[in-house]
Amino acid sequence: MLAIVQLILRRLMLALPILFGVLLFTFMLVRLGDSDPVGMLAGPTASEAEIAAIRATYKLDQPLLAQFLEYARRVAHGDLGTSWLSNRPVLTELLQRLPATLELVLVGSALGGFLGVWSGMRAARSVNGRFDQLSRLLSLFGFGMPTIFLGLALIFVFFFVLRWAPPPMGRIDLMITAPPVITGSYLVDALLARDLEAAWSAAGRMVLPCSVVAIVFAAPMLKQTRAIALDVRASDYVRYARTAGLPHPMIERIVWRNSAVPIITYGATELTALFGAASVLELIFSWGGVSQFGLTAILKADFAVVQGYVLMMSAIAMLVFALSDLLVLKLEPRAHEAGR
Amino acid sequence: MSVHAQVWHLRVIALARASPTGAVGLAIMLGFALVALLAPLIAPYDPVKPFTDHVLVEPDARFLLGTDGNGMDVLSRTLHGARYAYGIAIPVLLFGFLIGVPIGLYAGFRGGWFDEITLRVMDALRVFPSIILALAIVSATGQSLANVVLVIGMLDVPVFARLVRAEVLALRSSGFVEAAINAGNPTWRIVLVHLFPNCIRGAMAQMPIRMAWAVRVSATLAFIGVGIQAPTPEWGAMIRQGAEYMVSGEWWVAIVPGFALVILIIGFSMFGDGLEELLDPRRNTSSR
Repeated sequence: MLAIVQLILRRLMLALPILFGVLLFTFMLVRLGDSDPVGMLAGPTASEAEIAAIRATYKLDQPLLAQFLEYARRVAHGDLGTSWLSNRPVLTELLQRLPATLELVLVGSALGGFLGVWSGMRAARSVNGRFDQLSRLLSLFGFGMPTIFLGLALIFVFFFVLRWAPPPMGRIDLMITAPPVITGSYLVDALLARDLEAAWSAAGRMVLPCSVVAIVFAAPMLKQTRAIALDVRASDYVRYARTAGLPHPMIERIVWRNSAVPIITYGATELTALFGAASVLELIFSWGGVSQFGLTAILKADFAVVQGYVLMMSAIAMLVFALSDLLVLKLEPRAHEAGR
Repeated sequence: MSVHAQVWHLRVIALARASPTGAVGLAIMLGFALVALLAPLIAPYDPVKPFTDHVLVEPDARFLLGTDGNGMDVLSRTLHGARYAYGIAIPVLLFGFLIGVPIGLYAGFRGGWFDEITLRVMDALRVFPSIILALAIVSATGQSLANVVLVIGMLDVPVFARLVRAEVLALRSSGFVEAAINAGNPTWRIVLVHLFPNCIRGAMAQMPIRMAWAVRVSATLAFIGVGIQAPTPEWGAMIRQGAEYMVSGEWWVAIVPGFALVILIIGFSMFGDGLEELLDPRRNTSSR
């Protein structure tokens, strides 16, 4: 228990400077660029005075350092600024759209993670066996398929040709009233409200995009799991267990137990990358989650939203890494001592 | 046939025997490279010439793979797309390798504050999803092809630096390095002559995988509409053009360049797998 508290404290200490770095980086980035939101906001007919007034409102006429300190002070108080496009608080906008992205990424990665790890372990059991070769072939395709093309290809096959999937437009049928917001996930909310029709519609909309996430996640997981399990299988302790005549299920258990830690560590890195992949995917499926929102903000030079979005993504990534560390600690108490 | 050509020839056969996967991957890579080189000769039409009265024509005898929404020939555009794929992937790779490897070598050998800072920066970069980072930097610093290459290359630097650094750390205290130090060799000589050739194996094996990654990221950026814009015959931009026709039935506009993209990426990955097998045979023979 003490070890866990220590770990969390250490993580927090490490996270703060990184978050500060991220803050500074995105702040400089959006200001060094040549995109000028004031021009967009003011419109083509604005006079010099009007532009100056807008600059003053957003404090853009002050020196960079003053702007940054002001920004950092506000962020520390939970104020991420206001979107220049919608004129609403960035934090509200982001939090409102976060559940949609989480729903997509978590369901997809749970499916993909299970599939990838299970087949990776199984493939490692007989190298170059039929299952191994098949799964390597499939993972090669999973690797090769860029998210954009995989999404479009699935839409074409399952929506246009076979007419099995619902149209790739949003998270629920337009004709169906969205359930009252509790968690923000349409599926969960509809189930909580016992609205089966809405739940069915939401689940149907999730099938294709979640499959894409699952495939994108499963391919590298399969490959890495296979490599890790192969190393474990070649280790002295497994060889010893085998010569000692332990029954098969027991050996498999030893292999699994010893592979789990590196698999989790690797999976955490891949999981954070999924949030990037989700942005394009949400665009294709008009998902309307936070990643699509951030992407649009980048394209439209909505500074405050871009900064808030990147900050949120970094915080999520650090949270994922921290959780994976906790899980590792649970599985392998020795890791804590080695980590120092 | 000269001796050199013969040796080369034998090497190809040896590669094909040792790793059929790698050989197939190499064949795909070379095939696309050939297409890239010969695109102006083998493409039936100018890739950006609109046939205004032949918009969205289905594949037929005249337009073998149909035309897109501007009436441009999809086959010609896809063939020319190979030039963009290699034109981006090769400089990106060179950039990442030529900057990442020296950083990794120096950080691993010297240690101290330089190593510490390198590690911290690489850790911080790991926190961002690379697509988002590339997107943000390209759209902030100006949208041009050169910028796309520069940004993707920059994201490759830590990958190579990390690989090389780890190998340097493993070798730094080995016998031959110590012998070289005790024999009085200057630092630059130890790093360049003794460490460098022994530390780039992992980085070399990663090269095809990184090329696959570069092609994928640049296509994704073009798909979003950053850096490379519409009439350019680049695969990602073409897929973007075709995306809207995907739900109305004109599949060829996006599917054709999409397949080209997928096959080339798979080719890179297969070659990468093959290289890994050859350079690290332990992986495959263990635990039978």
